[in-house]
Amino acid sequence: MARLSLTHLQKVYGDFNAVDDVTIDISDGEFLVLLGPSGCGKTTTLRMVAGFVPPSAGKITIGERDVTVLPPWKRNCGLVFQSYALFPHLTVAENVAFSLEMRKVPHAERAPRVAEALRLVQLSGFDERYPRQLSGGQQQRVALARALAMQPDVLLLDEPLSNLDAKLRQEVRVEIRDLQRKLGLTTIMVTHDQEEALTMADRLVVMEKGKVRQIGNQRELYERPADRFVAGFIGRSAFLDGEATAPGRFRSRGGLDIDVGAAAGTGAATLALRPERISVAAEAGTCVNRFEARVEHVSYLGALLDIDVRLSEHDRMLLQLPNRQGSIEPKPGDTITIGWAEDAGLVYPREP
Amino acid sequence: MSTTAPEAVAGGRTGLAGALVVPATIFVAIGLIGPVAILFRYSLNQFIPGQFMVDGLTIENYVKFFTDTYYLNVLMRTVRVAVVCTIACLIMGFPLAYVLARTESRFKNLLIMAVVLPLFVGNAVRAAGWMTAFGNRGALNASLMGLGLINQPIEIMFTETAVIIGIVAVNLPFMVLTLQSVIEGINRNVEEAAFSLGAGPVTMFRRVLWPLALPGILAGTILTFILAMNAYATPVLLGGPKFQTMGPLVYGQFAQQNNWPFGGAISFILMTATLLLTVAAHLIVQRRYR
Repeated sequence: MARLSLTHLQKVYGDFNAVDDVTIDISDGEFLVLLGPSGCGKTTTLRMVAGFVPPSAGKITIGERDVTVLPPWKRNCGLVFQSYALFPHLTVAENVAFSLEMRKVPHAERAPRVAEALRLVQLSGFDERYPRQLSGGQQQRVALARALAMQPDVLLLDEPLSNLDAKLRQEVRVEIRDLQRKLGLTTIMVTHDQEEALTMADRLVVMEKGKVRQIGNQRELYERPADRFVAGFIGRSAFLDGEATAPGRFRSRGGLDIDVGAAAGTGAATLALRPERISVAAEAGTCVNRFEARVEHVSYLGALLDIDVRLSEHDRMLLQLPNRQGSIEPKPGDTITIGWAEDAGLVYPREP
Repeated sequence: MSTTAPEAVAGGRTGLAGALVVPATIFVAIGLIGPVAILFRYSLNQFIPGQFMVDGLTIENYVKFFTDTYYLNVLMRTVRVAVVCTIACLIMGFPLAYVLARTESRFKNLLIMAVVLPLFVGNAVRAAGWMTAFGNRGALNASLMGLGLINQPIEIMFTETAVIIGIVAVNLPFMVLTLQSVIEGINRNVEEAAFSLGAGPVTMFRRVLWPLALPGILAGTILTFILAMNAYATPVLLGGPKFQTMGPLVYGQFAQQNNWPFGGAISFILMTATLLLTVAAHLIVQRRYR
């Protein structure tokens, strides 16, 4: 187990910056999730740590070791793939023992270590099976046991749950997290699944177009997104385009004047609101920002109602109302009052 | 050669499946098993010079082959050449097939075409080409002598080496294509998993790639071995009149000596030897790796 540092890491393919100046420090035993849309560079970053992709620039250190130019087989990174990547011609026990065999661990020591790794993933007694005789979830557990048996300095998980069905994903998610905590493994996981990222991570890194957009824990990312991209990517946001007219003042395209919390600068900007921070009808009465809105569309989502409203000719936004008994249920065409507190709105300079 | 539409098409799945295999089955039965059976019958006949072929039931043709060192040497030489060619194809073909299977180049199809390209040139034409290259005044010797590297032309033409080079050139594409398709079926992540678990490239190859590619290696070696055992044009043109292998020997008995019974016997010996060696080699390999 060790600290892992990526310093100004870069990967250039031709004139395409797959990973652009990524600097991340992961402390001992931390579970870090790289999150972003496909093509954002998260997988390339992980593969650079594993040693499969040589960085164009930058440095990778594990503990005190500079591993930037080391081949994968000398890095001691345990890797779990989306496709499991078990050796189909070897039994479960032989798969798990592979790293021990590579390190020439004496035969007598191998059996207990294999048994221990399989016990950790609750697959004791599956030793003599072949991967094709196991279900997807079991195969992924074997892959995890195989990576754990090598006692890696760093555990790397490449979309490990994407091939599992929804129910199983929940289970394995919790198992991986428990194991990681128990063993104090420094871990990086790559995923595009936000829920997965939020439930498993100690800290998250949101990436887009090869760049790190924000590093932080769940609450920081949700409540203080660093930019418009993160605001839209983590959770849902209602956006209003317009301009920041003065510190603390925002005017929408449709001409609505809105009070916002501390906001720097003026000029073209976007206001981001979390849908659940917007109040409706009587509850909106005490809000600083209060507007009449016409309901355009209502989606029934069980626990929530998604409501599209229009505030003016140029301003539309999304609200979410809890589906409580006795609460009002707006219908398309209704006019309702909505409002939000000053500090609910976050203003970001418009991106080119 | 008209095939009537199979009747069973209207019947269920099984009927359709049966119908689909009928044309090929008929073709193989008429085109292969029939002649082979007739050939085997001939090989038991007697040959009396002047009388061509006399009906009989004798093994004297087989006895003749196995008691004459000349023929035994021809068989040994053929097996030796085929084994060397197969091993050479495997050693050269595997890295090439691997690169072809793993490349993400957009010229991949072009590369595959380049591998198949030698097959566009017929055997005889290609062998003639090699003749101009290997001859005493051929391109190879002329270049080496011109560069002052050698004083005397190297004897390549009409040697076993020339035949082996010629056959390898013909057989390599078969090996490469067979291996390529199997290697493509091996998940790249499996190799990466081995690397991450501490296996260097050599160990990864020995413990993961080789055993997983084994079905392709078996298929490729069977194919190239059979082709090499039965080569005709290459040994005739590059080996010259004194370099006898089984293929030309069979032809000689049929076309020049008119000794059909002995020709039939040699054919059967060639076929049996090919089959036995193939089966034996693969039993050994499979026992070791499965």
